[in-house]
Amino acid sequence: MTTTAAPHVSPGRVLARTCAAEWTRLRTVRATWWFAAAAAVVMVGIGTVAGLDAGPSPADSDPAWTASTVTAVPAQFALLALALTAVTSDYATGGIVPTLQWTPRRSVLALARTLVAVVSATALGVLLALASALAAYAGGRPALHLPLAEGLDALGPVALVVACGTTLAVGLGLLLRNTAGALIAAFLLMLVLPFVLPVFGYAWMSAIAEALPGSGAIFLLIGEVPGMTTASSVTTLLAWAGGALLLGWLRFVRDDANR
Amino acid sequence: MIEVRGLTKRYGSVLAVDDLTFDVEPGKVTGFLGPNGAGKSTTMRMVLGLDRPTSGTALVNGRPFGTLAEPLREVGALLDPGAVHSGRTGRNHLRVAARTNGIPFRRVDEVIEQVGLGTAARRRIKGYSLGMRQRLGIAAALLGDPRVLLFDEPVNGLDLDGVRWIRSLLRRLADEGRTVLVSSHLLSEMQQTADRLVVIGRGRLIADATTDEILRGLGDLQVSVRSSRSEELLAGLRDHGFTAARVDADQLRVEDASAVDVGELANSLHLPLHHLSEVAQSLEDAYLALTGSSVQFHGREAAPEKTTETAQ
Repeated sequence: MTTTAAPHVSPGRVLARTCAAEWTRLRTVRATWWFAAAAAVVMVGIGTVAGLDAGPSPADSDPAWTASTVTAVPAQFALLALALTAVTSDYATGGIVPTLQWTPRRSVLALARTLVAVVSATALGVLLALASALAAYAGGRPALHLPLAEGLDALGPVALVVACGTTLAVGLGLLLRNTAGALIAAFLLMLVLPFVLPVFGYAWMSAIAEALPGSGAIFLLIGEVPGMTTASSVTTLLAWAGGALLLGWLRFVRDDANR
Repeated sequence: MIEVRGLTKRYGSVLAVDDLTFDVEPGKVTGFLGPNGAGKSTTMRMVLGLDRPTSGTALVNGRPFGTLAEPLREVGALLDPGAVHSGRTGRNHLRVAARTNGIPFRRVDEVIEQVGLGTAARRRIKGYSLGMRQRLGIAAALLGDPRVLLFDEPVNGLDLDGVRWIRSLLRRLADEGRTVLVSSHLLSEMQQTADRLVVIGRGRLIADATTDEILRGLGDLQVSVRSSRSEELLAGLRDHGFTAARVDADQLRVEDASAVDVGELANSLHLPLHHLSEVAQSLEDAYLALTGSSVQFHGREAAPEKTTETAQ
């Protein structure tokens, strides 16, 4: 049999196909829907309860948008786990072998996998944040109000925090190739260390805590982190997300598929 | 066409694949034969761009696999049938594959029928037997109607029907002019299916020839002979310089001899014969001879013990 020239397929088309395949991968496993359901229960559930518990006077209560950002603090971890397992499940099952047989251009696969996981989780996070605010508003009328102009101020930080957190998770997944290890690392960076380190009272420990992505996320969502500013929070989050993704990409592109 | 040139893979101090060079040509079933741990899977993984070679190259249709835009349309491969996300249905698994290469979904249903997965394809892979997973893996390999196919131990875990099906599938794919590389440590299996054999041991090439050549080239003819007076026959054979051994009470096996030699000798000794036949050396014997010498050849090097089990 003579070798026939392969038809030219543009890199953009390969990326689009890979993204479509990644989306099919993501939506055809139950874990994705369990994590999405967990995030929904937390955000809409807590939003509803907060609305029902709102005081009777509209004057001293927060806008319903507060529900969006406050409930995103715990719910981000479900979204983070969703993005992380989208990467690590391929290593747990050995599915990375057929995956790379079907898409051997590894940079394309890494880009598509990151894009689909991060965009899906972020879109879900923003939708649920909106649903959380609406639930709080519905439960707390007339005490709670829902000023449309303030919507972006609540949904914007949720989008940024979830996007950076899930990018960090994808990066850790690509780097560590192990669900438990990457989840623990993500929890330490996003939740445990930012809370625990300042407790010891040493200035240097607090300084480390401020440099962790979890501190930036908490500040942007609820604003109660001493020493942090919006600029420092955004910078910290972006740096961690970018750094983890870079390291994960390097390992993904250079190393053997799963050894 | 698969071209492997000087392919080498080192894991720390272990040389898994050692300067391997061979071609896999279209229109034939090429058997990739070696004991467990010989480096067959590692070689296939390097051909498919999964593992990075320490040195050397592997080209598929003249190009490195890792650069292909639509790999499923050129190369189909089944390495490890268990390496799939078991939470997906078989059909969804194949649909993901189809999406990556722009293959229409109706082709997914075609290959599901072709491999006999039927309605099981709508169930989650979790409930599949190993044989069904093999069929699913083969369905994925056939999805893009590729010209080159690689199968790593495809008959493992299959029942007799499945084994027969694989044999005829391999034959048909080669007859259609495709390049077929199939690895196995099952010698008898390769004897039945492969036109050509690439034999490796400890990561090194031992033989690269047609199955017939390998059998004939190494197969010193043997004679199986049965006589009611086998004791006298055995003594007579040895007196005349033949190497003979007893198989059971009446039966002997004579090395490096023809039926004519043994028959005439028996006649001259006036010994009755109840059976006389020439036995072609089995691939197993030839293979053990080949890999055995490879082990001797490598005896001075520090190499992992596990690769020597079958070879010795």
